[in-house]
Amino acid sequence: MKPFATRFLGPAALVLLLLAGCATRPPADDPEALQEFRENNDPFEPANRAMFEVNEVIDKAVLQPIAEAYRDLLPQPVRSGVRNVLGNLRTPTILTGDLLQGNVTRARETLGRFIVNSTIGIGGIVDVGRRYDVHGHSEDMGQTFAVWGVGEGFFMFVPLLGPTTARDLVGFGVDVYTNPQSLIGQGQILDVWNYTRIGMTVVDTREALLEPFDMVRKTSLDPYSTLRSAYRQRRAFEIQNKESPSGAVAPAGGVGFGQGVMEPK
Amino acid sequence: MQRVMISRRFLLAGFAGIASIPARAQQMDITRATAFVDRAGQDLVNAINDPRLNQAQRRDKVASILRNAIDIDGTGRFILGRYVRQASPAELQDYQKLFDEIIIRNLSARFGEYRGVKFSLGRSQQRTEEDALVSTLIERPNNPSFTLDWRVADINGQPKVVDVIAEGTSLRLTTRSEYAAVIQRNSGRVASLLDAMRGQIAQLAAREGG
Repeated sequence: MKPFATRFLGPAALVLLLLAGCATRPPADDPEALQEFRENNDPFEPANRAMFEVNEVIDKAVLQPIAEAYRDLLPQPVRSGVRNVLGNLRTPTILTGDLLQGNVTRARETLGRFIVNSTIGIGGIVDVGRRYDVHGHSEDMGQTFAVWGVGEGFFMFVPLLGPTTARDLVGFGVDVYTNPQSLIGQGQILDVWNYTRIGMTVVDTREALLEPFDMVRKTSLDPYSTLRSAYRQRRAFEIQNKESPSGAVAPAGGVGFGQGVMEPK
Repeated sequence: MQRVMISRRFLLAGFAGIASIPARAQQMDITRATAFVDRAGQDLVNAINDPRLNQAQRRDKVASILRNAIDIDGTGRFILGRYVRQASPAELQDYQKLFDEIIIRNLSARFGEYRGVKFSLGRSQQRTEEDALVSTLIERPNNPSFTLDWRVADINGQPKVVDVIAEGTSLRLTTRSEYAAVIQRNSGRVASLLDAMRGQIAQLAAREGG
């Protein structure tokens, strides 16, 4: 599959960023404001906020209604199966991350879960590993870069993808390009399969975020900065591999809205 | 001679005792923090699940438990951060009142929905010398369980909650960045944050009423 998102959306977003200008740096005689500016590390904040608003419009018009319909129409066990299959399909990315980070224990868990879940778990529909207390976890290239000591870079908000940073966006691109499912060849069946997988990933991820998103919209005085802060904190937590075992494998990798992904309800 | 020996031993024992005091105090701290979270959590769960209470009574009960358990004043100051010094005394007073109302309303509304909730203590760990992080597992019927970590500090001799952390995301840190953004986007005026908070309280009240 040719990754449409990285090919066209990336440059388009960049052009928009340049057009929309930069955040104003606070004056040098206000050290606290300067420190805050550096911690936010959001030099393109005006552009990011514009992208956030674009995302809000798309989300309320399309993504959220689809996610709600998906939840209403399909019973929980079916949605659970979908999430498990998608998580299982992410194994190459997760295993690569485990290995590149030198985490043999987690790599063994990932491989063991893949073998057991793909066979006994009928193509990943049933998370058998979890029943044996071998819980899934997420990894992605952004996390691996972080473990290698790469700083997160400036903050970005990309429509449909959500909050991210320069490091995590590059990592996402690497994950998409190196995914074996986008390498094994071409053909209509494969294209259909890949679009289905990506479509289901978007719907499943949005369904997992229904309540958290709702909560942010209802209770935050400034949802943009809430998501920015939550994203950073959640990523730090994931990079340190501290996710709680009650979570499920996020089909989209670092979902990045400051939330872990649970079993569907 | 023997007396000297005894007194020396006595002295040694005394030193050992003194030396062990800080360690024991730390140990106490985490035990105390855990016991405190356990008690406050059970009180909350009992109030939420009490079938004799109607919705308004339940909300009041939950609010009073939360007010006792949380260091609202200190948390409010932490969240306002550097703007504490920029606010006028009257603004600061207003802010504390509004913050109290928002946090209690938000948390009561959120916990109030957790009918049938069960909670249990997870592993707890000491974080810094001042506060402890107590981990709990929240289970609800037909919902995936999740962990909540409570940061507990000693406030004037009483253990109090100063932060709630859900899966790595700290409530006081996200709120701090949210409030700072509101102030900055309104040319640094603390008064604009107070207006936004008033607006939010009105919304929350309208939703509770409906």
